[in-house]
Amino acid sequence: MSETLHFEDFSIGRVFDCGTYELTKEEVFEFAGEFDPQPHHLDEDAANASMLKGLSASGWHVCAIAMRMLADGVILKAKGLGGVGAPEGRWMKPARPGETLRMEAEVISAKPSGSKPFGLVTFECRMFDRSEQIAMISMTPIIGKRA
Amino acid sequence: MSWWEDIAIGARRELGSYTFTEEEIIHFARKYDPQIFHLDPEAAKQTMFGGLIASGWHTAAVWMKLAIADREKSKAAGNPLQRAGVSPGFEDLKWLKPVRPGMTLTYSNEVIEKVALKSRPDMGIVKSLNEARDENGTVVFSFIGKGFVQRKPA
Repeated sequence: MSETLHFEDFSIGRVFDCGTYELTKEEVFEFAGEFDPQPHHLDEDAANASMLKGLSASGWHVCAIAMRMLADGVILKAKGLGGVGAPEGRWMKPARPGETLRMEAEVISAKPSGSKPFGLVTFECRMFDRSEQIAMISMTPIIGKRA
Repeated sequence: MSWWEDIAIGARRELGSYTFTEEEIIHFARKYDPQIFHLDPEAAKQTMFGGLIASGWHTAAVWMKLAIADREKSKAAGNPLQRAGVSPGFEDLKWLKPVRPGMTLTYSNEVIEKVALKSRPDMGIVKSLNEARDENGTVVFSFIGKGFVQRKPA
């Protein structure tokens, strides 16, 4: 993997386009069946009768998709050294199967380690469906400095 | 079913344990977190982790799995369930130590705060501290979860 991004490239306010992701019903069922077996993620009739008024992906599935999009859009182009956490997650609207999701990641904090060859970069990842923002997940990966 | 008013700050539940296998770690990473130290046991040895580790979101997703299983167990035992709805999100999620194949994590949940909502008098928020500990009792993962719970009608 060619590393074209380094810690020094993550200036506060820089926004990365993380592309799109097709959320299929099969995938919603597969993730929910394994990790979040609640009727509103697994059963169409129960989902229609629920507070969310229709089938939706697990919020943790949305986080996992955000991770994948941040990996493809940013981290795999850098020297990623793992992540320390996710300061905040907001599930604002249901993630519906059949939607095309899109994500942008804005650098909101960049803290270099004093002595070590890396730093912590926090991204505000904003996820949208075709009509509106559905989630915000901030994540803090460790990114290598320029050699 | 229990209401927001019935939930006590400090109430704690053990959610159970889960052993992470190499196969599951790789399966999750291929789909959602394809960084080399989550994907390839050999190549992972050359990284700062010195071997394969689970995606942090895999560790988080297992919390949900155990929380649902605990709720089902509690329901089957005839205990009153919270009138819980959906969650608006979480705060302060931390991956404190690497989770490696074969490790067994034990998850817990403790109510830390209750928030009334001016905008939704029929609902309150319950905040809880969720933790996963390794076999030595060291906390390896934690976050503050938030859930809507129905309020007792006035």
